[in-house]
Amino acid sequence: MKIKILWALLTLVIAGLIAVPWIASYFYIFIFTEILILGLFAASFNLIFGYTGMLSFGHAAFFGIGSYAMALVLIYLEWPFVVGLLVSMGVSALLALIIGFFCVRLNEVYFAMLTLAFGMMVFAIAYQWRSVTNGSDGLAGFSLGSFGLGLDLTLANPAVYYHVVLAIVVIASAVLYLVCRSSFGMILRAIRQNPERVSFAGLNVRTYRLVAFVIAGSFAGLAGGLIAPFLRVASPELLHWSMSAEPILMAILGGTGYFLGPFVGSAVFVLLETWITSFTESWMLVLGIILALMVIFFRKGLLGTVLDWWMEIKK
Amino acid sequence: MIKTRVKKILVAITAAAAMGAASTSYAEEPIRIGGIYILSGSAATYGEFAQKGINLAVDEINASGGILGRQVEMVYEDSQGKASVAIQAARKLVYSEGVDALVGLDSSGVAQGMVPTMPELQKPLIITHAATPDVTGKLCNAFTYRISVNVAQNMKAAALVAEKLDATNWTTIGPDYAFGHQSWEFFGNYLKELKPDVNLMSETNFPRFGAEDFTPFIDRVMDSDADGVLISVWGGDLVNFIRQANNRGFFEKDYELLFTVGAATEVLSALGDEMPEGVHLSTRYWYDAYDNDVNAHFVKAYVDAYDVPPSYNAEGAYAAIYAYKKAMEAAGTTDASAVAKALSGMSMEAPNGTITFRKGDNQAMVSPNWGISGPMNSKYGIRTLTDLQIFDGEDVARSIEETGCNL
Repeated sequence: MKIKILWALLTLVIAGLIAVPWIASYFYIFIFTEILILGLFAASFNLIFGYTGMLSFGHAAFFGIGSYAMALVLIYLEWPFVVGLLVSMGVSALLALIIGFFCVRLNEVYFAMLTLAFGMMVFAIAYQWRSVTNGSDGLAGFSLGSFGLGLDLTLANPAVYYHVVLAIVVIASAVLYLVCRSSFGMILRAIRQNPERVSFAGLNVRTYRLVAFVIAGSFAGLAGGLIAPFLRVASPELLHWSMSAEPILMAILGGTGYFLGPFVGSAVFVLLETWITSFTESWMLVLGIILALMVIFFRKGLLGTVLDWWMEIKK
Repeated sequence: MIKTRVKKILVAITAAAAMGAASTSYAEEPIRIGGIYILSGSAATYGEFAQKGINLAVDEINASGGILGRQVEMVYEDSQGKASVAIQAARKLVYSEGVDALVGLDSSGVAQGMVPTMPELQKPLIITHAATPDVTGKLCNAFTYRISVNVAQNMKAAALVAEKLDATNWTTIGPDYAFGHQSWEFFGNYLKELKPDVNLMSETNFPRFGAEDFTPFIDRVMDSDADGVLISVWGGDLVNFIRQANNRGFFEKDYELLFTVGAATEVLSALGDEMPEGVHLSTRYWYDAYDNDVNAHFVKAYVDAYDVPPSYNAEGAYAAIYAYKKAMEAAGTTDASAVAKALSGMSMEAPNGTITFRKGDNQAMVSPNWGISGPMNSKYGIRTLTDLQIFDGEDVARSIEETGCNL
């Protein structure tokens, strides 16, 4: 019964999201576009963090490389948008495979440090390779061509772009969710709880961790491929380690134990940022206080706390 | 019912009183203008000075009846010097705050990212500081205007200054983004044209924008054969650079030094007599350079309000608000397309003389100023500029064909 109510709620939320351009002020189209893209980024991160128990400080490398891939495709090749997204995913999956190959060998803090180191390396390359990446200015000034798949969509129209993002994020999330619910996802959760027992059961933990890392990387790349046309610039900030902190914050804010937690975190993060920066420049201070309170009192995050409480009552 | 009537009477009384007092009209909604500047970080003084210039213009305009009888109201957003932040800020200002027009932009990198989105936003933008030639060149569009000097104009002037100097081996120290790289590129091309025997060194120095430590770059120049250096470091970075260069004895060597934005009063005030004497300093506007009524009024009003002479950034921002006033009154409306159209080819009296937004690339024909740092001005605590040269805006501008702009 409760599961049915949850599905009904989710359907309502998605219906609400579809209706945003008609019911909310125009500006919120941009806000919700950002929430969806960053939500997908955070959800991809949560596959390795919340499910597999690997805390990566370099996840922005895949997000950023995806955005650069998209920008380069749009500037030089002028391929359709969908093809650009596939390129973004492919490039970041490849990068995740290379970085992951070295990182999954290590545990805990060493894993975190190594991902951070690789993330900073990717940042340094994007920052300094001026002839390709345009250095600190990033790649800008590209125009949005056709969508592909024979669909006639004006991507430069923010409302159209929002719906495109919504559709892609919903599909990508569904795929990610299936991954999490599959037997593969179960093993990832088992690895988080006790990697020794998993390996005693005869499974190669390292391979599972690497596959999870690559899947997470490619979905982060997809999110990156969506953010570049939205921001109209692919800049080194998207690959910076401070960008790697955002999915961590979002996952913790929303709750790492539920699949949709990072999306809730993303919504809270972006909305608070928008509202608070209208009053004060010190938005980071406010965010810091909220995070500290969350970690001290609501370890399960917003969605986790609410859902657990709701599941508890009226059994 | 009674309540509304009481309210109406109150409003009427207040309005009458206000009109009697300041002869301003509250009949209509104010005109809102969005300002996007760097308001945090090492270049935040530029945003602050721009706001000072704008606030002065807005106060003057509002005190004398506003624009089209409507008051003017500013809404500011911080660009943080990042293109993505500025683009989001512009969307917020246009769609959420409902501004009628935009002014701002301190950084070339920000301008390159944001300008291509202006046709989507459908609001006019007057750039008051960012200098990349591209935004009134290959990235130009019908909604983007610039009231300040661009890199191409200023580097043409710089090359004319450098032509007369003895230096033959030129290198550069500039911030590692569009502005630093383009300054060197345009300077080199123009200088080579004027004086084919100069050597443009391949070892150039591009420290990160916001870098704290410039000594490795200073040392590299001192170890090289350079005898002329183009320095396009600006803002808080330039303050740090000068102090570190002083410590290294950089200014005791016999270099010919050209500071492309060295005479920004933000920098001169921060440095005081630490700014060396005898180096070439440029600025987009020097408060002492123009002998006209608008400038006399502007400098006096600015000094009265803030106790320091206006910087070029304050001047550009001040003039931009008056440009909107003139364009909106010429168009008779605040409608974006009509205002943008009125701006194109419009001439106005600004503190730096009569300026015209050139039809074809929307770049204002404004005059770069170059001078040599002289004795201290004891009243303001900044260096004076001697041997001041005011280059004609039209003479140093690229031709429309050269800009690559196709409007």
